Amino acid sequence: MTEETLPIERERRPKPDFWVRYRGALLFTASIVIAFAAWQFLSSFVFNPFLIPPPLAVLETAVPMAKSGEIFRHVAISMARVGVGFATGCAAAIVLGVILGRIRLVNELLDPVIELLRYLSPTAMIPIAVIWFGIGELSKYFLIFWGTFFIVLINTTAGVMRAPVIRQRAAECLGASQLQIFLLVVIPSAAPYIVTGMRIAMASSFMSIIPAEILAADSGIGFLLQQSSILLQTNRIFVALLTICVLGFVFDRLFRIAVDRMLSRYMSYIALT
Amino acid sequence: MLAVRNVRKVFGTDADRYLALEGISLEVSQGEFVCLLGPSGCGKSTLLNILAGFEQASGGAVDFEGAAVRGAGRDRVMFFQDAGSALLPWLSAEENVRFALRVRKLPKEQWPEIIERYLEMVGLAEHRHKFPAQLSGGMRQRLQIARALAVEPKVLLMDEPFGALDALTRRRMHGFLLDIWQRTGKTIVFVTHDIAEAVTLADRICLMSVGPGSRITEVIDVDLPRPRDLADPGAARLFKRVEALLTHDK
Repeated sequence: MTEETLPIERERRPKPDFWVRYRGALLFTASIVIAFAAWQFLSSFVFNPFLIPPPLAVLETAVPMAKSGEIFRHVAISMARVGVGFATGCAAAIVLGVILGRIRLVNELLDPVIELLRYLSPTAMIPIAVIWFGIGELSKYFLIFWGTFFIVLINTTAGVMRAPVIRQRAAECLGASQLQIFLLVVIPSAAPYIVTGMRIAMASSFMSIIPAEILAADSGIGFLLQQSSILLQTNRIFVALLTICVLGFVFDRLFRIAVDRMLSRYMSYIALT
Repeated sequence: MLAVRNVRKVFGTDADRYLALEGISLEVSQGEFVCLLGPSGCGKSTLLNILAGFEQASGGAVDFEGAAVRGAGRDRVMFFQDAGSALLPWLSAEENVRFALRVRKLPKEQWPEIIERYLEMVGLAEHRHKFPAQLSGGMRQRLQIARALAVEPKVLLMDEPFGALDALTRRRMHGFLLDIWQRTGKTIVFVTHDIAEAVTLADRICLMSVGPGSRITEVIDVDLPRPRDLADPGAARLFKRVEALLTHDK
Protein backbone atom coordinates (compact mmCIF):
# COMPACT_ATOMS: atom_id res chain seq x y z
CA MET A 1 0.00 0.00 0.00
CA THR A 2 2.55 2.50 1.11
CA GLU A 3 4.84 1.72 -1.79
CA GLU A 4 2.04 2.46 -4.18
CA THR A 5 1.05 5.74 -2.63
CA LEU A 6 4.53 7.14 -2.26
CA PRO A 7 5.28 7.94 -5.95
CA ILE A 8 1.91 9.61 -6.35
CA GLU A 9 2.66 11.91 -3.47
CA ARG A 10 5.98 12.79 -5.01
CA GLU A 11 4.30 13.74 -8.27
CA ARG A 12 1.82 15.96 -6.55
CA ARG A 13 4.37 17.82 -4.54
CA PRO A 14 5.49 20.68 -6.81
CA LYS A 15 2.03 22.23 -7.01
CA PRO A 16 1.27 22.64 -3.32
CA ASP A 17 4.88 23.56 -2.76
CA PHE A 18 4.60 26.62 -4.96
CA TRP A 19 1.27 27.53 -3.37
CA VAL A 20 2.57 27.07 0.16
CA ARG A 21 5.61 29.17 -0.56
CA TYR A 22 3.91 32.14 -2.16
CA ARG A 23 0.48 31.82 -0.59
CA GLY A 24 0.88 34.84 1.68
CA ALA A 25 2.34 37.13 -0.98
CA LEU A 26 -0.20 36.07 -3.60
CA LEU A 27 -3.20 36.58 -1.35
CA PHE A 28 -1.84 39.90 -0.15
CA THR A 29 -1.43 41.14 -3.72
CA ALA A 30 -4.83 39.78 -4.70
CA SER A 31 -6.47 41.55 -1.79
CA ILE A 32 -4.97 44.91 -2.76
CA VAL A 33 -5.67 44.48 -6.48
CA ILE A 34 -9.29 43.50 -5.89
CA ALA A 35 -9.82 46.39 -3.50
CA PHE A 36 -8.42 48.91 -5.99
CA ALA A 37 -10.45 47.42 -8.85
CA ALA A 38 -13.62 47.63 -6.79
CA TRP A 39 -12.79 51.17 -5.79
CA GLN A 40 -12.16 52.15 -9.43
CA PHE A 41 -15.47 50.60 -10.49
CA LEU A 42 -17.51 52.12 -7.68
CA SER A 43 -16.15 55.66 -8.08
CA SER A 44 -16.53 55.55 -11.87
CA PHE A 45 -20.04 54.13 -12.09
CA VAL A 46 -21.76 54.29 -8.72
CA PHE A 47 -20.55 57.18 -6.61
CA ASN A 48 -19.79 60.76 -7.41
CA PRO A 49 -16.14 60.75 -8.59
CA PHE A 50 -15.61 64.17 -7.07
CA LEU A 51 -16.46 62.92 -3.58
CA ILE A 52 -14.64 59.62 -4.01
CA PRO A 53 -12.04 60.07 -6.72
CA PRO A 54 -11.09 56.81 -8.47
CA PRO A 55 -7.61 55.40 -7.77
CA LEU A 56 -6.28 56.30 -11.22
CA ALA A 57 -7.21 59.94 -10.70
CA VAL A 58 -5.59 59.85 -7.26
CA LEU A 59 -2.46 58.43 -8.84
CA GLU A 60 -2.47 61.22 -11.44
CA THR A 61 -2.54 63.78 -8.64
CA ALA A 62 0.09 61.91 -6.63
CA VAL A 63 2.75 61.80 -9.36
CA PRO A 64 3.39 65.57 -9.60
CA MET A 65 3.18 65.85 -5.80
CA ALA A 66 5.88 63.21 -5.54
CA LYS A 67 7.96 64.71 -8.33
CA SER A 68 7.98 68.15 -6.80
CA GLY A 69 8.90 66.59 -3.47
CA GLU A 70 5.89 68.17 -1.79
CA ILE A 71 4.54 64.91 -0.42
CA PHE A 72 7.93 63.76 0.84
CA ARG A 73 8.48 67.03 2.63
CA HIS A 74 5.23 66.62 4.53
CA VAL A 75 6.00 62.97 5.24
CA ALA A 76 9.47 63.80 6.52
CA ILE A 77 8.13 66.48 8.85
CA SER A 78 5.40 64.22 10.24
CA MET A 79 7.81 61.32 10.68
CA ALA A 80 10.32 63.51 12.49
CA ARG A 81 7.58 64.55 14.90
CA VAL A 82 6.49 60.96 15.45
CA GLY A 83 10.14 59.91 15.81
CA VAL A 84 11.04 62.46 18.46
CA GLY A 85 7.81 62.10 20.43
CA PHE A 86 7.84 58.32 20.25
CA ALA A 87 11.50 57.94 21.23
CA THR A 88 11.34 60.31 24.18
CA GLY A 89 7.97 58.90 25.24
CA CYS A 90 9.30 55.33 25.21
CA ALA A 91 12.46 56.26 27.06
CA ALA A 92 10.63 58.09 29.83
CA ALA A 93 7.91 55.45 30.09
CA ILE A 94 10.34 52.54 30.31
CA VAL A 95 12.36 54.21 33.06
CA LEU A 96 9.28 55.13 35.10
CA GLY A 97 7.54 51.83 34.31
CA VAL A 98 10.46 49.83 35.65
CA ILE A 99 10.40 51.87 38.86
CA LEU A 100 6.64 51.44 39.21
CA GLY A 101 6.93 47.73 38.61
CA ARG A 102 9.63 47.33 41.18
CA ILE A 103 8.87 49.74 44.01
CA ARG A 104 5.46 49.09 45.45
CA LEU A 105 5.07 52.35 47.36
CA VAL A 106 5.79 54.47 44.28
CA ASN A 107 3.34 52.38 42.32
CA GLU A 108 0.59 52.77 44.87
CA LEU A 109 1.18 56.52 45.02
CA LEU A 110 1.28 57.14 41.28
CA ASP A 111 -1.09 54.52 39.93
CA PRO A 112 -4.34 56.45 40.66
CA VAL A 113 -3.00 59.53 38.89
CA ILE A 114 -1.90 57.46 35.90
CA GLU A 115 -5.23 55.71 35.77
CA LEU A 116 -6.95 59.09 35.48
CA LEU A 117 -4.53 60.80 33.12
CA ARG A 118 -4.40 58.00 30.60
CA TYR A 119 -7.93 58.76 29.48
CA LEU A 120 -6.74 62.07 28.13
CA SER A 121 -5.99 61.13 24.54
CA PRO A 122 -3.44 63.21 22.63
CA THR A 123 -6.35 64.75 20.71
CA ALA A 124 -7.90 65.97 23.95
CA MET A 125 -4.60 67.59 24.83
CA ILE A 126 -4.23 69.54 21.57
CA PRO A 127 -5.92 72.77 22.76
CA ILE A 128 -3.82 73.08 25.88
CA ALA A 129 -0.66 71.94 24.08
CA VAL A 130 -1.06 74.81 21.60
CA ILE A 131 -1.35 77.29 24.45
CA TRP A 132 1.62 75.80 26.25
CA PHE A 133 3.95 75.20 23.33
CA GLY A 134 2.55 77.17 20.35
CA ILE A 135 2.03 75.63 16.94
CA GLY A 136 5.71 74.87 16.40
CA GLU A 137 7.39 71.50 16.64
CA LEU A 138 7.36 71.38 20.42
CA SER A 139 3.59 71.00 20.72
CA LYS A 140 3.63 68.04 18.30
CA TYR A 141 6.52 66.39 20.12
CA PHE A 142 4.57 66.81 23.32
CA LEU A 143 1.37 65.31 21.93
CA ILE A 144 3.10 62.24 20.50
CA PHE A 145 5.06 61.89 23.73
CA TRP A 146 1.81 62.04 25.68
CA GLY A 147 0.15 59.34 23.60
CA THR A 148 3.18 57.05 23.68
CA PHE A 149 4.02 57.51 27.32
CA PHE A 150 0.97 55.96 28.97
CA ILE A 151 0.74 52.97 26.67
CA VAL A 152 4.39 52.00 27.11
CA LEU A 153 4.29 52.83 30.82
CA ILE A 154 1.41 50.51 31.61
CA ASN A 155 2.90 47.67 29.59
CA THR A 156 6.35 48.08 31.10
CA THR A 157 4.97 48.12 34.64
CA ALA A 158 2.92 44.99 33.95
CA GLY A 159 5.93 43.24 32.42
CA VAL A 160 8.23 44.03 35.32
CA MET A 161 5.61 42.98 37.88
CA ARG A 162 5.02 39.71 36.08
CA ALA A 163 8.65 38.65 35.89
CA PRO A 164 8.33 35.12 37.37
CA VAL A 165 9.15 35.02 41.07
CA ILE A 166 10.63 31.56 40.58
CA ARG A 167 13.11 32.90 38.04
CA GLN A 168 14.22 35.66 40.40
CA ARG A 169 14.55 33.26 43.29
CA ALA A 170 16.50 30.78 41.19
CA ALA A 171 18.94 33.55 40.26
CA GLU A 172 19.07 34.70 43.87
CA CYS A 173 20.18 31.35 45.22
CA LEU A 174 22.81 31.05 42.50
CA GLY A 175 24.30 34.09 44.17
CA ALA A 176 23.03 36.94 42.02
CA SER A 177 22.90 40.36 43.67
CA GLN A 178 19.69 42.40 43.69
CA LEU A 179 21.12 44.57 40.90
CA GLN A 180 22.01 41.53 38.83
CA ILE A 181 18.56 40.03 39.33
CA PHE A 182 17.05 43.29 38.23
CA LEU A 183 19.22 43.82 35.15
CA LEU A 184 19.77 40.24 34.02
CA VAL A 185 16.47 38.62 35.00
CA VAL A 186 13.64 41.10 35.54
CA ILE A 187 14.25 43.46 32.63
CA PRO A 188 14.74 40.71 30.02
CA SER A 189 11.64 38.95 31.37
CA ALA A 190 9.69 42.16 30.81
CA ALA A 191 11.05 42.71 27.30
CA PRO A 192 8.10 41.11 25.46
CA TYR A 193 5.66 43.35 27.31
CA ILE A 194 7.73 46.46 26.68
CA VAL A 195 8.07 45.71 22.97
CA THR A 196 4.36 45.01 22.63
CA GLY A 197 3.59 48.30 24.34
CA MET A 198 5.95 50.11 21.97
CA ARG A 199 4.28 48.56 18.96
CA ILE A 200 0.83 49.62 20.08
CA ALA A 201 2.16 53.07 20.95
CA MET A 202 3.69 53.40 17.51
CA ALA A 203 0.36 52.71 15.83
CA SER A 204 -1.29 55.24 18.13
CA SER A 205 1.42 57.82 17.34
CA PHE A 206 0.65 57.50 13.65
CA MET A 207 -2.98 58.13 14.43
CA SER A 208 -2.54 61.03 16.80
CA ILE A 209 -0.07 63.01 14.70
CA ILE A 210 -2.83 63.66 12.13
CA PRO A 211 -5.34 65.52 14.34
CA ALA A 212 -2.45 67.38 15.92
CA GLU A 213 -1.34 68.62 12.52
CA ILE A 214 -4.87 69.31 11.33
CA LEU A 215 -5.56 71.59 14.25
CA ALA A 216 -2.20 73.09 14.99
CA ALA A 217 0.44 73.02 12.28
CA ASP A 218 1.59 74.59 9.06
CA SER A 219 3.25 71.47 7.68
CA GLY A 220 3.01 67.69 7.78
CA ILE A 221 0.50 65.21 6.39
CA GLY A 222 -2.27 66.37 8.68
CA PHE A 223 -1.75 69.93 7.46
CA LEU A 224 -1.88 68.66 3.86
CA LEU A 225 -5.22 67.03 4.63
CA GLN A 226 -6.63 70.12 6.24
CA GLN A 227 -5.40 72.47 3.50
CA SER A 228 -6.78 70.23 0.74
CA SER A 229 -10.09 70.04 2.52
CA ILE A 230 -10.45 73.81 2.70
CA LEU A 231 -9.70 74.02 -1.02
CA LEU A 232 -12.08 71.10 -1.76
CA GLN A 233 -9.25 69.16 -3.42
CA THR A 234 -10.54 65.64 -2.80
CA ASN A 235 -7.83 64.08 -4.99
CA ARG A 236 -5.14 65.53 -2.77
CA ILE A 237 -7.00 64.40 0.35
CA PHE A 238 -6.96 60.86 -0.95
CA VAL A 239 -3.26 61.08 -1.74
CA ALA A 240 -2.65 62.09 1.88
CA LEU A 241 -4.91 59.35 3.23
CA LEU A 242 -3.19 56.67 1.16
CA THR A 243 0.17 57.98 2.31
CA ILE A 244 -0.87 57.53 5.94
CA CYS A 245 -1.98 53.94 5.26
CA VAL A 246 1.29 53.04 3.56
CA LEU A 247 3.46 54.75 6.18
CA GLY A 248 1.76 53.05 9.13
CA PHE A 249 1.98 49.67 7.46
CA VAL A 250 5.64 50.07 6.45
CA PHE A 251 6.73 51.29 9.86
CA ASP A 252 4.96 48.48 11.68
CA ARG A 253 6.68 45.95 9.41
CA LEU A 254 10.04 47.63 9.94
CA PHE A 255 9.48 47.57 13.68
CA ARG A 256 8.67 43.88 13.59
CA ILE A 257 11.72 43.10 11.49
CA ALA A 258 13.94 45.11 13.82
CA VAL A 259 12.52 43.26 16.83
CA ASP A 260 13.03 39.93 15.09
CA ARG A 261 16.62 40.79 14.33
CA MET A 262 17.61 42.19 17.70
CA LEU A 263 15.27 40.81 20.35
CA SER A 264 14.01 37.51 19.00
CA ARG A 265 15.57 35.52 21.81
CA TYR A 266 13.59 37.55 24.31
CA MET A 267 10.39 37.35 22.31
CA SER A 268 10.28 33.83 20.93
CA TYR A 269 9.72 32.01 24.19
CA ILE A 270 6.56 33.72 25.35
CA ALA A 271 4.37 31.37 23.37
CA LEU A 272 6.20 28.37 24.75
CA THR A 273 6.37 28.91 28.48
CA MET B 1 24.66 20.51 58.96
CA LEU B 2 21.18 21.87 58.43
CA ALA B 3 19.31 22.22 61.70
CA VAL B 4 15.68 23.23 62.02
CA ARG B 5 14.47 23.80 65.55
CA ASN B 6 10.86 24.29 66.51
CA VAL B 7 10.03 26.36 63.44
CA ARG B 8 6.61 27.88 63.02
CA LYS B 9 5.32 29.92 60.11
CA VAL B 10 2.32 32.22 60.10
CA PHE B 11 1.01 33.92 56.99
CA GLY B 12 -1.08 37.08 57.07
CA THR B 13 -2.18 39.05 60.10
CA ASP B 14 -5.04 39.02 62.57
CA ALA B 15 -8.26 37.70 61.03
CA ASP B 16 -6.54 36.45 57.87
CA ARG B 17 -3.73 34.73 59.67
CA TYR B 18 -2.99 31.20 58.73
CA LEU B 19 -0.71 28.96 60.72
CA ALA B 20 1.17 26.97 58.11
CA LEU B 21 3.87 25.23 60.12
CA GLU B 22 4.18 24.50 63.79
CA GLY B 23 6.87 22.87 65.87
CA ILE B 24 8.96 21.65 62.95
CA SER B 25 12.30 20.20 63.99
CA LEU B 26 14.66 18.47 61.64
CA GLU B 27 18.36 17.69 61.43
CA VAL B 28 19.95 16.98 58.10
CA SER B 29 23.51 15.74 58.07
CA GLN B 30 26.18 16.12 55.43
CA GLY B 31 25.57 14.02 52.31
CA GLU B 32 22.16 12.85 53.42
CA PHE B 33 19.16 12.46 51.12
CA VAL B 34 16.03 13.55 53.00
CA CYS B 35 12.51 13.50 51.56
CA LEU B 36 9.72 15.66 52.94
CA LEU B 37 6.59 13.75 52.08
CA GLY B 38 3.01 14.86 52.50
CA PRO B 39 -0.20 15.72 50.68
CA SER B 40 -0.70 19.03 48.90
CA GLY B 41 -1.09 21.96 51.25
CA CYS B 42 0.92 20.43 54.06
CA GLY B 43 3.46 23.23 53.99
CA LYS B 44 6.41 21.25 52.68
CA SER B 45 7.20 23.86 50.05
CA THR B 46 6.94 26.56 52.70
CA LEU B 47 9.46 24.69 54.82
CA LEU B 48 11.76 24.40 51.82
CA ASN B 49 11.43 28.13 51.13
CA ILE B 50 12.45 28.78 54.72
CA LEU B 51 15.47 26.51 54.36
CA ALA B 52 16.43 28.32 51.16
CA GLY B 53 16.07 31.67 52.89
CA PHE B 54 13.33 33.00 50.61
CA GLU B 55 10.97 33.21 53.52
CA GLN B 56 11.59 33.77 57.20
CA ALA B 57 10.28 31.54 59.93
CA SER B 58 7.86 33.27 62.29
CA GLY B 59 9.37 31.41 65.19
CA GLY B 60 12.13 28.94 65.94
CA ALA B 61 15.57 28.76 64.37
CA VAL B 62 17.13 27.54 61.16
CA ASP B 63 20.88 27.01 61.26
CA PHE B 64 23.16 26.08 58.43
CA GLU B 65 26.65 24.95 59.41
CA GLY B 66 26.23 26.56 62.78
CA ALA B 67 25.09 29.97 61.58
CA ALA B 68 21.52 31.23 61.31
CA VAL B 69 20.14 31.26 57.77
CA ARG B 70 19.76 34.80 56.52
CA GLY B 71 18.50 35.14 52.97
CA ALA B 72 19.28 32.95 50.01
CA GLY B 73 22.80 31.93 49.24
CA ARG B 74 24.54 29.75 46.74
CA ASP B 75 25.47 27.13 49.33
CA ARG B 76 21.79 26.12 49.32
CA VAL B 77 20.46 26.02 45.79
CA MET B 78 16.76 25.62 45.16
CA PHE B 79 15.31 23.57 42.39
CA PHE B 80 11.92 24.24 40.91
CA GLN B 81 9.36 22.03 39.26
CA ASP B 82 8.69 24.65 36.61
CA ALA B 83 12.11 24.63 34.97
CA GLY B 84 10.76 26.72 32.10
CA SER B 85 10.28 29.61 34.51
CA ALA B 86 13.35 28.95 36.62
CA LEU B 87 15.74 28.93 33.68
CA LEU B 88 16.40 32.02 31.61
CA PRO B 89 14.48 31.27 28.43
CA TRP B 90 16.39 33.80 26.35
CA LEU B 91 19.69 32.05 27.01
CA SER B 92 20.86 28.79 25.48
CA ALA B 93 21.67 25.78 27.67
CA GLU B 94 25.32 26.76 27.74
CA GLU B 95 24.55 30.41 28.46
CA ASN B 96 22.29 29.43 31.35
CA VAL B 97 25.21 27.67 33.02
CA ARG B 98 27.44 30.61 32.15
CA PHE B 99 24.95 32.91 33.88
CA ALA B 100 25.47 30.96 37.10
CA LEU B 101 29.24 31.32 36.80
CA ARG B 102 28.91 35.00 36.06
CA VAL B 103 26.90 35.74 39.19
CA ARG B 104 29.26 33.50 41.14
CA LYS B 105 32.03 35.91 40.13
CA LEU B 106 34.41 33.23 38.96
CA PRO B 107 37.37 34.26 36.77
CA LYS B 108 36.42 33.95 33.10
CA GLU B 109 39.29 31.61 32.23
CA GLN B 110 37.66 28.87 34.27
CA TRP B 111 34.24 29.16 32.66
CA PRO B 112 34.64 26.95 29.56
CA GLU B 113 35.99 24.03 31.55
CA ILE B 114 33.25 24.15 34.20
CA ILE B 115 30.50 24.57 31.62
CA GLU B 116 31.90 21.61 29.73
CA ARG B 117 32.12 19.46 32.83
CA TYR B 118 28.56 19.99 34.04
CA LEU B 119 26.87 19.90 30.65
CA GLU B 120 28.72 16.65 30.08
CA MET B 121 27.63 15.34 33.48
CA VAL B 122 23.94 15.92 32.76
CA GLY B 123 24.27 14.72 29.18
CA LEU B 124 23.43 18.00 27.50
CA ALA B 125 26.77 18.70 25.84
CA GLU B 126 25.30 18.09 22.38
CA HIS B 127 22.36 20.37 23.10
CA ARG B 128 24.38 23.26 24.43
CA HIS B 129 23.14 25.73 21.85
CA LYS B 130 19.47 24.92 22.28
CA PHE B 131 17.16 27.21 24.19
CA PRO B 132 15.11 25.86 27.11
CA ALA B 133 11.93 25.92 25.01
CA GLN B 134 13.62 23.58 22.55
CA LEU B 135 14.50 21.05 25.24
CA SER B 136 12.22 18.35 26.59
CA GLY B 137 10.92 18.54 30.16
CA GLY B 138 13.51 16.07 31.43
CA MET B 139 16.32 17.87 29.65
CA ARG B 140 15.22 21.16 31.16
CA GLN B 141 15.40 19.63 34.63
CA ARG B 142 18.86 18.29 33.87
CA LEU B 143 19.90 21.73 32.71
CA GLN B 144 18.61 23.14 35.97
CA ILE B 145 20.74 20.57 37.78
CA ALA B 146 23.82 21.49 35.74
CA ARG B 147 23.28 25.16 36.43
CA ALA B 148 22.92 24.52 40.16
CA LEU B 149 25.97 22.27 40.36
CA ALA B 150 28.05 24.90 38.57
CA VAL B 151 27.91 27.13 41.65
CA GLU B 152 29.04 24.20 43.79
CA PRO B 153 26.34 24.30 46.42
CA LYS B 154 26.47 22.18 49.54
CA VAL B 155 22.76 21.50 49.68
CA LEU B 156 20.25 20.94 46.91
CA LEU B 157 16.71 21.90 47.87
CA MET B 158 14.30 20.29 45.43
CA ASP B 159 10.65 21.29 45.28
CA GLU B 160 8.82 18.45 43.52
CA PRO B 161 11.33 18.75 40.71
CA PHE B 162 10.01 15.86 38.65
CA GLY B 163 6.31 16.33 39.38
CA ALA B 164 5.51 17.57 35.89
CA LEU B 165 7.35 14.82 34.03
CA ASP B 166 5.82 11.66 32.60
CA ALA B 167 6.31 8.47 34.62
CA LEU B 168 9.02 7.06 32.39
CA THR B 169 11.09 10.22 32.32
CA ARG B 170 10.62 10.64 36.04
CA ARG B 171 12.04 7.20 36.71
CA ARG B 172 15.01 7.95 34.50
CA MET B 173 15.54 11.23 36.36
CA HIS B 174 15.53 9.36 39.68
CA GLY B 175 18.40 7.15 38.52
CA PHE B 176 20.14 10.20 37.17
CA LEU B 177 19.75 12.21 40.38
CA LEU B 178 20.96 9.33 42.55
CA ASP B 179 23.98 8.97 40.31
CA ILE B 180 24.80 12.67 40.61
CA TRP B 181 24.20 12.54 44.36
CA GLN B 182 26.54 9.58 44.83
CA ARG B 183 29.21 11.15 42.66
CA THR B 184 29.15 14.61 44.19
CA GLY B 185 28.16 13.83 47.78
CA LYS B 186 25.72 16.74 47.97
CA THR B 187 23.15 16.98 50.71
CA ILE B 188 19.63 16.83 49.28
CA VAL B 189 16.31 17.89 50.77
CA PHE B 190 13.63 16.69 48.40
CA VAL B 191 9.96 17.64 48.63
CA THR B 192 7.38 15.32 47.12
CA HIS B 193 3.83 14.07 47.49
CA ASP B 194 4.66 10.84 45.69
CA ILE B 195 5.23 7.94 48.09
CA ALA B 196 6.97 5.85 45.44
CA GLU B 197 9.38 8.67 44.74
CA ALA B 198 10.24 9.09 48.42
CA VAL B 199 10.74 5.34 48.91
CA THR B 200 12.95 5.13 45.80
CA LEU B 201 15.20 8.03 46.70
CA ALA B 202 15.45 8.84 50.38
CA ASP B 203 17.78 7.94 53.21
CA ARG B 204 15.15 9.33 55.48
CA ILE B 205 11.49 10.16 54.92
CA CYS B 206 9.79 12.87 56.98
CA LEU B 207 6.01 12.64 56.83
CA MET B 208 4.14 15.88 57.20
CA SER B 209 0.53 16.37 58.22
CA VAL B 210 -2.02 18.57 56.48
CA GLY B 211 -2.28 22.18 57.66
CA PRO B 212 -3.16 24.35 59.39
CA GLY B 213 -0.29 23.88 61.77
CA SER B 214 1.50 21.17 59.82
CA ARG B 215 4.04 19.14 61.71
CA ILE B 216 6.44 16.35 60.99
CA THR B 217 4.45 13.39 62.24
CA GLU B 218 6.85 10.59 61.55
CA VAL B 219 10.46 10.13 60.55
CA ILE B 220 11.35 6.89 58.81
CA ASP B 221 14.89 5.73 58.19
CA VAL B 222 15.24 3.85 54.95
CA ASP B 223 18.17 1.47 54.80
CA LEU B 224 17.31 -0.41 51.68
CA PRO B 225 20.09 -0.89 49.15
CA ARG B 226 20.04 1.19 46.00
CA PRO B 227 18.93 1.00 43.26
CA ARG B 228 15.57 0.20 44.77
CA ASP B 229 12.73 -1.55 43.08
CA LEU B 230 9.23 -1.06 44.48
CA ALA B 231 8.47 -4.67 43.67
CA ASP B 232 11.09 -5.83 46.19
CA PRO B 233 9.47 -7.01 49.42
CA GLY B 234 11.37 -4.52 51.59
CA ALA B 235 10.45 -1.53 49.45
CA ALA B 236 6.89 -2.74 49.02
CA ARG B 237 6.46 -3.13 52.76
CA LEU B 238 7.80 0.36 53.35
CA PHE B 239 5.48 1.75 50.69
CA LYS B 240 2.47 0.14 52.41
CA ARG B 241 3.55 1.43 55.76
CA VAL B 242 3.98 5.01 54.56
CA GLU B 243 0.70 4.84 52.72
CA ALA B 244 -1.08 3.63 55.84
CA LEU B 245 0.45 6.42 57.90
CA LEU B 246 -0.60 9.07 55.41
CA THR B 247 -4.14 7.74 55.08
CA HIS B 248 -4.47 7.46 58.83
CA ASP B 249 -3.40 11.07 59.19
CA LYS B 250 -6.40 12.27 57.20
